[in-house]
Amino acid sequence: MIRIENVTRTFRRAGGGTVHALVDVSVEISEGEFVCIVGPSGHGKTTLLQLVAGLLPPTSGKIVVDGVPVTGPGPDRGVVFQRDSVFPWMRVIDNVEYGLRCRGVPKERRRAISRSYLEAVGLDGLERSWPRELSGGMLKRVAVATVFATGAKVLLLDEPFGPLDYVTRHQLHDVLLNLWQATETERARTILFVTHDVDEALTLSDRILVVKQGRLVDDMRSTLPRPRTTDSLVVPEALRHKHVLLSHLGLEAPGPSGAVATGAGA
Amino acid sequence: MTKRRSVGIVVLVAMAGAWELVSRIYTGEAAPGEPMVPGWEVVFTRTLRSLSDYWGGGLGVVAVSEGGKRTYEGALLAIGANSLDTIARLFAGLGLGGVGGTLLGLAVSWSRWTRFLVQLPGHVVRTFPLLAMIPLFQLWFGISFVGMMLFVAYGAGVIFFVGTINAVKNVPPIFIDYARVLGASRLRLYRTVILPAIFPELRSTILLSLGLGWTLVLGAEYLGAQTGLGQIIVYSEQFAYVDRMFLVALVFVLYASLSYALFDRLSRRLVQWVPRGGP
Repeated sequence: MIRIENVTRTFRRAGGGTVHALVDVSVEISEGEFVCIVGPSGHGKTTLLQLVAGLLPPTSGKIVVDGVPVTGPGPDRGVVFQRDSVFPWMRVIDNVEYGLRCRGVPKERRRAISRSYLEAVGLDGLERSWPRELSGGMLKRVAVATVFATGAKVLLLDEPFGPLDYVTRHQLHDVLLNLWQATETERARTILFVTHDVDEALTLSDRILVVKQGRLVDDMRSTLPRPRTTDSLVVPEALRHKHVLLSHLGLEAPGPSGAVATGAGA
Repeated sequence: MTKRRSVGIVVLVAMAGAWELVSRIYTGEAAPGEPMVPGWEVVFTRTLRSLSDYWGGGLGVVAVSEGGKRTYEGALLAIGANSLDTIARLFAGLGLGGVGGTLLGLAVSWSRWTRFLVQLPGHVVRTFPLLAMIPLFQLWFGISFVGMMLFVAYGAGVIFFVGTINAVKNVPPIFIDYARVLGASRLRLYRTVILPAIFPELRSTILLSLGLGWTLVLGAEYLGAQTGLGQIIVYSEQFAYVDRMFLVALVFVLYASLSYALFDRLSRRLVQWVPRGGP
């Protein structure tokens, strides 16, 4: 479980003055939830993720993961970044094994785990390739395999599929959902997924948090049945959510169907 | 590529031809019988044989100072033996300077304390005039292997120090964040991320230090080494043997080129991951 308690984060601007990236955000995320964080760009989504990752300390407030306060990056949390982060100087298999190596997992076991995840993301046979030989979508698959291979129970994804084309992105949604739902481990994985794409959020998540101007302005639960298809997004519930989200993003005036259920600070 | 290379070869041959031409036109002498601009024929016959003066005897070739004749075998032995001394000083110095300079350069980014400790002193030390340091090193260490090695190490270390600091600054922060969230300790981060990430950029530093290294070791040997290619040049200068100095300089050119080519070959495997059009 992730508990975010009254977290505020400010940045000092280069020219002087401060920016309030996040203001008094409080939310609890239960184990096994797939949560999307939606909001206009530059409004604090990525900051929130980096705080949970431990890459940034909060200015005030605290974040607790499984009862342990976050003070830095930890083995319980994994991150897939927006930009390509796969190490170009390691072959694909060595990249996937990196997190396991850091955890001191013996070689044989490391290989076996990495192979199974490479297969799960559809990259079997490319173990010995160099990252420069892979496409953008394949690099994302490597990053997803790497982070799942570590066994981290909390996965933080920061607009991971943003720059990819439509088809590739949808393939990666399936890859991600399959890995998330795979129950080979005793505990479910919790996913925090930052996106600016409303349809992506509706396709993937159980729950959508809307972050606007550094504040948590909405907390919506989606009960759309899985697996979700294109048709899932045109049922009334999905459309209602979509209208609410679009109005939050400033693309639509809040209509009669978009009665905003403000659940900030749940 | 081959066309461009052949152009380079043509220019080299033209330069050699120009040298020969000058040697025919300008027949001034540095000393009686010692041409100021020795032609190629002289260089590869009389001059080459004369280098057997620097063979101390042994392996069936009697030293010239003990009544032996000047022979090509003696000359090659002399070049070989003196080269070995010079090369040993060079690579011991480069190795020490390379490792030392790189470690100090990494220390600047390792932690706040190592940065305070290393950064300012490092930048002060690197601005000492290198050539003016030769007599100092000689006074401190005498004309010893250690002194010459340390001098080369100092000159190369300075380059590695600055090169490493700059290369580390250019490592994209995303790789460091990625390693941290995957659970890498700081030592592992430096070993598996920083070092491979800076290596392509460090390659040019290494090439630079190889070039400078040959100059430095020569400079160190000027100050009274008893062996080595630099010592042959000093000795030749005293007797105005322009041709010998020229020949030894050619040997240096050969070694420097070989060391570049060798390093290029050896390091290519380490940068095979670099995307095309990358650094």
